[in-house]
Amino acid sequence: MVAPSATLSTLNRADGSASYQCPSTGSNILGSVNAPVELPGRRDALKPEDATIEVFVKPGTAPAGVGERYVEGIIKTLLGRVILGREKGYPRRGVVITLAVIGGESVGRGDPYLVLLPALLHTALLALLSASVPLSMTFSATVLAVDASGQIRREPSAEDAATAQSVHVLAFSSKGHLLLNESQGSFDFDTWEKVRQRASAICHGTQLVSADGDVAMVEDVDGRPLEGTLRETVEDQVYRDYNWKINAA
Amino acid sequence: MSSPLVLLPGDEVPSEYLPASSSAPLRLGAGLRLLSQPHPTTTSSSSTQAPSHVLTATQAGILSTDTKRNALSILSFPHRRYIPTANDLVIAQIHHSSPDYFHCMITPQAPHAVLGQLSFEGATKKTRPMLKQGDLVYARVLSIGLGAGAEVELACVNPATGRAEPGGLGPLNGGMVFDISTGMASRLMRASSSTGEQQDGVAGLVVLDELGKKLEKAGGFEIAIGRNGKVWVDCSNSGDVAVKATVAIGRCLTTIDEHDLNPADQKKLVSRVLRELKIEV
Amino acid sequence: MNKEAPLSIAERDFILNALREDVRLDGRAADQLRPLKVSFGEEYGHVKVQLGRTSLVIRVSAEVTKPHEDRPFDGLFTIAMELTAMGSPAWDNGRQGDLETYVTNVLDRVIRHSNALDTESLCIVKGVSCWSIRADVHVTDYDGNLIDGACIGIMAGLQHFRRPDAVVKDGQVIVYGLDQRVPVALNITHKPLAVTFHTFDEGKRVILDATRKEEQAAEADVVFGLNNAGDVCFMSKFSGSPVDAMVFVNKTSVALDKVKEINAIIDKALQADLAMRAKKGMAEESRAENDR
Repeated sequence: MVAPSATLSTLNRADGSASYQCPSTGSNILGSVNAPVELPGRRDALKPEDATIEVFVKPGTAPAGVGERYVEGIIKTLLGRVILGREKGYPRRGVVITLAVIGGESVGRGDPYLVLLPALLHTALLALLSASVPLSMTFSATVLAVDASGQIRREPSAEDAATAQSVHVLAFSSKGHLLLNESQGSFDFDTWEKVRQRASAICHGTQLVSADGDVAMVEDVDGRPLEGTLRETVEDQVYRDYNWKINAA
Repeated sequence: MSSPLVLLPGDEVPSEYLPASSSAPLRLGAGLRLLSQPHPTTTSSSSTQAPSHVLTATQAGILSTDTKRNALSILSFPHRRYIPTANDLVIAQIHHSSPDYFHCMITPQAPHAVLGQLSFEGATKKTRPMLKQGDLVYARVLSIGLGAGAEVELACVNPATGRAEPGGLGPLNGGMVFDISTGMASRLMRASSSTGEQQDGVAGLVVLDELGKKLEKAGGFEIAIGRNGKVWVDCSNSGDVAVKATVAIGRCLTTIDEHDLNPADQKKLVSRVLRELKIEV
Repeated sequence: MNKEAPLSIAERDFILNALREDVRLDGRAADQLRPLKVSFGEEYGHVKVQLGRTSLVIRVSAEVTKPHEDRPFDGLFTIAMELTAMGSPAWDNGRQGDLETYVTNVLDRVIRHSNALDTESLCIVKGVSCWSIRADVHVTDYDGNLIDGACIGIMAGLQHFRRPDAVVKDGQVIVYGLDQRVPVALNITHKPLAVTFHTFDEGKRVILDATRKEEQAAEADVVFGLNNAGDVCFMSKFSGSPVDAMVFVNKTSVALDKVKEINAIIDKALQADLAMRAKKGMAEESRAENDR
């Protein structure tokens, strides 16, 4: 499995930005974060003690519609759990996150965004880090499809997802909490448990509860945990930005 | 700093990175917070005084330890938006004025900060500066207010002494403002405030020294650095080359901000820009 | 808010005074473009334009649809531009500002109304089905001169784009996948581009390809739309102070030079991309298909 590649702080005007390339779906997502900013005209709707999070998903080759609004809601809820909106400078201000699908196939009109969701989440996270928005923790996410034979497939293509029995998106925090569980299709609890274990292995690569041979093999297939890839991306950028300091030391 | 430790939000600060002296209170800078350990300490009989609190990062960046001040902070990405912090020097732009205050813009798309009409050196009701929309002031962040959404207050005078301390606070007339990243602004701030002659410059910057040397003959320049990512430059003493010299300084600073240049390349850049603008040195 | 923060008096005065000495902040001459880079993505019609610090991504796409009742022989062509908070923190997501309306209007007039894309060639079955070509403009970084940048991107995208082949068999429209049949290039009739000038100092100073700060400090702007042959398909001066007629006359020839220069850059990028695709060959083509 080819690891996703990402770059931080790719844009000039936005306070934080990230570009994310997901090899399995071929999608390229550009994310920007402006924070903390004033949200004019929405003063009454703002929470008095907390930051207001706004997420905007812009499809690449179509006008935004219901599907985008739906996925924006999911992303916003998840990010609301990790953004520390009460830190200095953030209460009553907005955290505006814009995610544009600038490469790869667009999601069909009205189709759910589950296949793209992990890529969108990762882009949002990296852009938030790039803008130095205070977060309680980081997270990683993956999408898995279960086909009719019960085979679990990681990061399926749009066609695979369409023919799959069920599609699951799971996100885990860096502390191991299950932050997001979006499923679609019909499945039983055993299947979901298998999906959760596999997803956890993809994100964390940590020891699983059941350490039988089968699971160990799965870990091999997935290669490096996603969390490590994300961390490395951030570290690379930090080293680049503080080159002057590191060299001087 | 031997090898910098990069932390991500949620990472705990390893205890060996904490400043050694335990007598003075530890100061926590940006990007860190104190959390009480939710779960009971691990079953170990040896360390009965296991810490019940942990320091965790809230921003990604390099952990920086200041042993002198006993302070700890995270050096985060330099392109972040400026968040007003008490005692910072900023370049603010007057947006409008009310009977008691000037309402100023520190960062775009952020709420205005207030600057008292009398918060200038020697200002009285009759002698206060008449600033209009679009004028610039070099000011210190007096307070950021208590509670959520409070107003940020600026001052161009030290309320205790009635003087413009540090020097240079007050209206900025003429000149030009250039936008730089907040990270670059704090580097320049440190580079310009130090007096020691160092070969490699402070914070890896030699550009100001180099420009100062080269432009000395032309009449020198005045510079004010705002932590909000703005640099004000004025070369009005330089006569004919005033405009070109200002442009040269702006181009040098923004180029170094965009491409990380080492001291040698910074010197080359200064020479190249001055040559391109045909400024005699 | 949807409005960039106003310039300070110092910036406004300085930009003007510097122009009086023929100096621009980035060291350019008055008639000089910022460094322009046009590059293409993996898919057809995916263009990245970098004009100084302004950057855009343009994506051209096609789908089969029904033509308009009153124009049964014509396909559809739309230019969709939505300014998001990504390009500038001053822009609000999901709200149309004046700039967006203005730029979309100019792009429509320069490219669509000048028939740069031959819409008749998009017809599949008269009055029943046709191709709808859509150009999405994503502004990723805004530092002035959106119009010229977007024009460059859209024209490059239209020339780069290949639509799937479609045939009519027994009254049924069959659309072949990109792997089944060689995709078809669009029929471009001419290559118009916009060139924007800004005037200062009561029209005495005129500069090309202004940055955001220069735009804010300017008195007025003048937009030309013309092609390599020098056919002017659009000219506007919507707002700002009056501009002398001679400026229009003089600057049209400058604009023509720039259009030729920019079209040469686009052509070069297209050739390079074509050569790269040819090198990758059919193997790449089939692999890309498997990925999907």
